[in-house]
Amino acid sequence: MAINNNVWELAETYLAGTLSETDLIELKGRLAADTGFASEFNESVNLIRSMEGNGKQKKFRGMLREIHETVAETNPKKASRRIPLPAHFWRTATVAAGVALLTSTITYSILNPSIKKSDSQYNAMSREVEHLKKVQAQQQAQQNQLIQNINKNAKPAPPPSDVKYQGTGFALTNDGYFVTAYHVLNDGKGDFDSVYIQNHEGQYFKASLVNFNSEADLAILKVEKKNFHFSKGEVPFTFQANKADLGTRIFTLGYRKDDIQYSEGYISAKNGYEGDAQQYTLELPIGAGQSGSPVVDEKGNILGVLTAMGSQAEANTYAVSSKSLTDMIHNLTDNTVIHLSKKNKLGSMTRAQQIDKMEAYTVSVKVYKK
Amino acid sequence: MLSQTNTEQQLLAALGAGDRSATHNIYQQYYHIINGWLIKNGGSSADAADLFQEAMVVLFGKAQDEDFRLTCSIGTYLFAVSKNLWYKKLQKQGREPVFLNDNIENEEDGSGIVYEDDINVHHEREAHYEQLNSALDQIGEPCRSLLMAFYHQDKNMQEIAADFGYTNPDNAKNQKYKCLARLRKLFYTMQAK
Repeated sequence: MAINNNVWELAETYLAGTLSETDLIELKGRLAADTGFASEFNESVNLIRSMEGNGKQKKFRGMLREIHETVAETNPKKASRRIPLPAHFWRTATVAAGVALLTSTITYSILNPSIKKSDSQYNAMSREVEHLKKVQAQQQAQQNQLIQNINKNAKPAPPPSDVKYQGTGFALTNDGYFVTAYHVLNDGKGDFDSVYIQNHEGQYFKASLVNFNSEADLAILKVEKKNFHFSKGEVPFTFQANKADLGTRIFTLGYRKDDIQYSEGYISAKNGYEGDAQQYTLELPIGAGQSGSPVVDEKGNILGVLTAMGSQAEANTYAVSSKSLTDMIHNLTDNTVIHLSKKNKLGSMTRAQQIDKMEAYTVSVKVYKK
Repeated sequence: MLSQTNTEQQLLAALGAGDRSATHNIYQQYYHIINGWLIKNGGSSADAADLFQEAMVVLFGKAQDEDFRLTCSIGTYLFAVSKNLWYKKLQKQGREPVFLNDNIENEEDGSGIVYEDDINVHHEREAHYEQLNSALDQIGEPCRSLLMAFYHQDKNMQEIAADFGYTNPDNAKNQKYKCLARLRKLFYTMQAK
């Protein structure tokens, strides 16, 4: 199969006129045989053309306003009446005609039973979940070793050049316990050296691993500094005990590079990747570095922790449900007790206020490894 | 006058491609004529700027179509469209148009109907874009900014990856496709209503 399964990529190459003769024939066959694909393809092509047309027109309007400034000031008597055509117009004229020709050939409606669904891939935002599953068997032994290693390798300041992985974490308690996605810490290729968090004010703090569950893709850590606090008050959000409903509006805050990013979406399926009941499937645009970010409903309840995004063919994002997290917290050993906040302070706030409040409790997680 | 027709056709193609100097030439040549006419017909210079720019956008839209051949000069076309738009505006405001003699062309040749169609197509397209913009306003960040950067600000995937913090252009591209998928859903749902 020479032509691409990604309908957008296909629509783009089609509009650009860069599809080969054979691909074009294959596409026509596919369009003819599968009405579902045909309507999806047509909608995609039309949307891209509209976006392009809209963009072009917007730029043209902007240019007209600029031109107006210069033209309106000139004396009409002096304005030339005859326009010489510079040689370079020939080029643009040819290009314009070419583009018009290509875009005007479009109206197929049709498809082919042989469309292979590309194997759905599951991309953990900083690495493959497959690796996690292998690691799982050695979980207990490794866990102890990990914790030892972190404690041994205490460094005074984080060497930024060694940052191997970066994710997002958020506070469980104000005194330093926080959660992130386990895959941020472990790439399945051995232990990390140290973990630091960087808060919204840019300060670094060293953290150590408290516990993790590689299957759920969760890790609980604690900031090592004595008397550390994320912010003034106890964490302002609460943790949802049961699973939220389909269609619940959600938002997330996370770090891409050093900037905190906001995005919003909704729960699109109650279960996650391959029907995993511990997870949600979300319609939420995210990027690398946002693994471990909180998934929050409109009232400020934590519904889950972002774990992975689907392959490019499926536009899904996955999150581990807060229930997996609370279960994990309840099963911690006796010497670590985490009391989750029972008081939600975000409920009656506007979204901007919620974000403002949550920023102090949301951190960038930087993992160092040689 | 074959050479002049060619010149106008080429100028038009350059306009359609968004060429600045072609646009500037046309603007400079006809703006003052429309402005002068409008002032005699109860408008202001501010109205003239709006009106003439709208007419230019109509012509720009027409110039996107490769089959488009001017049946009259660019000047005549712009003037006719401007007049038509102005009369429509007056009618909307409940003011009867004041017909004065215009010194360029008279429109008793039936070509007014063609301009009428062009203007209707233009209004439909404007409504379509408006709907698209409102869908775009609803898809949320970072999708809105990302799509605007690509389609409205001509940024390439490399720049977008850097601006939005994606590790490479391919990731940015996948996010763009994801955003387009959201937009498609939203836009066609809105249209169905």
